[in-house]
Order: sequence, then C-alpha cells, then structure tokens
Amino acid sequence: MMVSTDPMHQFKIEKLFDLKLGDLDISFTTSAMWMVIGVLLLIGFLAWATSKMSTVPSRAQSLAEIWYGFIAGIVKDVNHAPGKPYIPLVFSLFSFIFVANIIGMMPYFFTTTSHIAVTGFMAIFTISLVVVVGLMKKGLGFFKIFVPSGVPVVLLFIVTPIEIISFLSRPISLGMRLFANMLGGHVALKVFAGFVPSLAVALGGVGMLMGGLLVMPLIVGVTALEFLVAFLQAYVFAMLTCVYLNDALGEAH
Amino acid sequence: MSQDDLNKRIAKAQAEIDARERPRYMGTGKGMGLGFRMASDFAAAVIVGVILGLGIDALFKVSPWGVIVCLLLGFVAGVRNVVATAMKANQAPETGPEAGKATKGEGDSA
Repeated sequence: MMVSTDPMHQFKIEKLFDLKLGDLDISFTTSAMWMVIGVLLLIGFLAWATSKMSTVPSRAQSLAEIWYGFIAGIVKDVNHAPGKPYIPLVFSLFSFIFVANIIGMMPYFFTTTSHIAVTGFMAIFTISLVVVVGLMKKGLGFFKIFVPSGVPVVLLFIVTPIEIISFLSRPISLGMRLFANMLGGHVALKVFAGFVPSLAVALGGVGMLMGGLLVMPLIVGVTALEFLVAFLQAYVFAMLTCVYLNDALGEAH
Repeated sequence: MSQDDLNKRIAKAQAEIDARERPRYMGTGKGMGLGFRMASDFAAAVIVGVILGLGIDALFKVSPWGVIVCLLLGFVAGVRNVVATAMKANQAPETGPEAGKATKGEGDSA
C-alpha cells in the first residue's frame, strides 16, 4: 500500500547491468534504457516515414514534414537566414524532449526528462554552444551583450552584473523548467490517483463513490493537461534555444 | 505536365497555406509557454544570485555582504528577465514580413 502510493517511487533509477570505466560508474540504467528506446523510436519512425518519399506524401511522410516544418518555422521566425545551419540541432533537441515526455506519459514507463541530470546537461550544452558560436562569429565583441548600448557609464557598474546574472540564469532556468514540470506533473498525477484507493479504504463504499465521481474526472483532466505540457515544454525548450542563439548570431538588440 | 511543374505548384500552394494557417497554429500554447518561461526565469535569476553571493562570501570572507548584494542583484535580474520577455511578447508581430515565405526547406535533406 505504501509503495504503490509513494509519488516518488516512479523516479527511482535502477541499474540494469554494471559497467565500469576505470573508477567511473557508467552502469546501464533504466533511465539510459528509456533514452535509447526513445531515440530508436524517433529514428525508426522518421526513417520509415521518409523511406518512400513522393511528391504527394503518404500520411507518415506528411506527419514527418509537418514535424520538420514546425521546427524549421520556429528557427526561421526567430533567427531568420543565419539560423539555417542550426535547424537540425533544434529539431533533435525538440524531438528528443518531446518523445521522452510522451514516453513518460505511458503507464509503467520511465520519464527521462524528470531528472535534472538529463535536462541540465541539455541546457548547459545549449548555452555552451551559444557562447562558442558567439565567440567564433563575433570574437570578443560577443561580450557586448553584457554591456547594453545607450546606458550612462555610472549605471554600467550596476547594469553589467545584472546582465551577467541574467545570462547565467539561462541554463538554470532552461533545465529547471523542463525538469520541474515533468516531475511536478507526474507527482501530481500520482497523488491525485492515490486519492481513489485512500478514500475507498477510509470511507468504504461512500469513499469509492466519491473517488469515482469526483477524483477520476480530475485525473482524466490532469492527464490531458500533462500531454499538453509534454508538448509545450519541448516547444519552449526549442524556442528558447533559438532565442539564445540569436544573441550569438543576430544583430545587436 | 512535368514533375517539376507540379512541384512548383505545390510549393506555391504550400506557401499560401502557410501564410494563412501558420499564425494560428504557431500561436497554440504560446501564452502558457510564456507563463512557464517568466516563472522559471525569475526564480533562476534569484538562485544564481544566491549561489554567486555564497561563492563571493567564501572566496573573499566578506560574509554576509556578498549574499545580500548578489541576492538583490538576482532579484533585479529576475525582474529584468520577466520584463524583457513580456516586452518582446507584446511587440512581436504575429504576421511579419516573414509570414508569407515558404517554411518548408524543399531541397533540404531533413
């Protein structure tokens, strides 16, 4: 009873088999397995959908085209022409997060994006990329984003630290939002679902009726909301990647 | 009619559909996404401020002034993040000059 209603139990990572690289523990875990499954599903679907390309697309090809067109649309809206080389990157990030989130919505499946190690790495990777691309394109001029133009020199002593903190907050915000939303959503689902047996145990038949009539519709609603959040978080991550890349690529703002 | 001709007609029709439909489906969930962004941008800036402050305190032994100053700066940076996001969202044109362009990378190897 306790284990089945413990909302954190679902996030436990277990080792499937042990692997050691020197002193490093690189064991293959459930989290890694679900990531591999997600990537394989993604590659498999896209490869299958685009295997027989035709001018008049089949349903699968049409879906793949809409998927790609959606991401390409975001990149072109935000970054315009200089963003074109980054469409594959943003597409990969979006697709991986989206597939991982959707896999996490299936019962008994594991949500890889509910661990900050995964989302944090993606966020740090994104920001590092922005810094590297910015330094390559603009050299030291990249650091001008910390010194907004048109600000009196006296104020710069306050504004520059604020800009630096604001920049440093990006990877944390990016990783934390995805992680917190997936974690919070799944915990909320589990807690609400736990109300049904708890009510039934506590109040008997009346509790069962209340659980069925009041709580179950709520769970259905929250599940639907979670599907929306699963898409939305992937979308926000992809869009923010573009917005941050704009600092490295775009004109001064 | 050659295959090339058909491709051109499809690209043209697609561009027309995009110009008409994209502002609509790109707008889906935009408000909610914006909300998520503002909330976590604000919180993240405060967290960064505290971490920076603790680091400065530990490095220069000026406790508690590093935390106090950096926490305040973190709050300011958080508010600045939220205001910047809101301002950009308000002025973002739904149908800019880009809206009419074709969105599909026709020749791209996706």
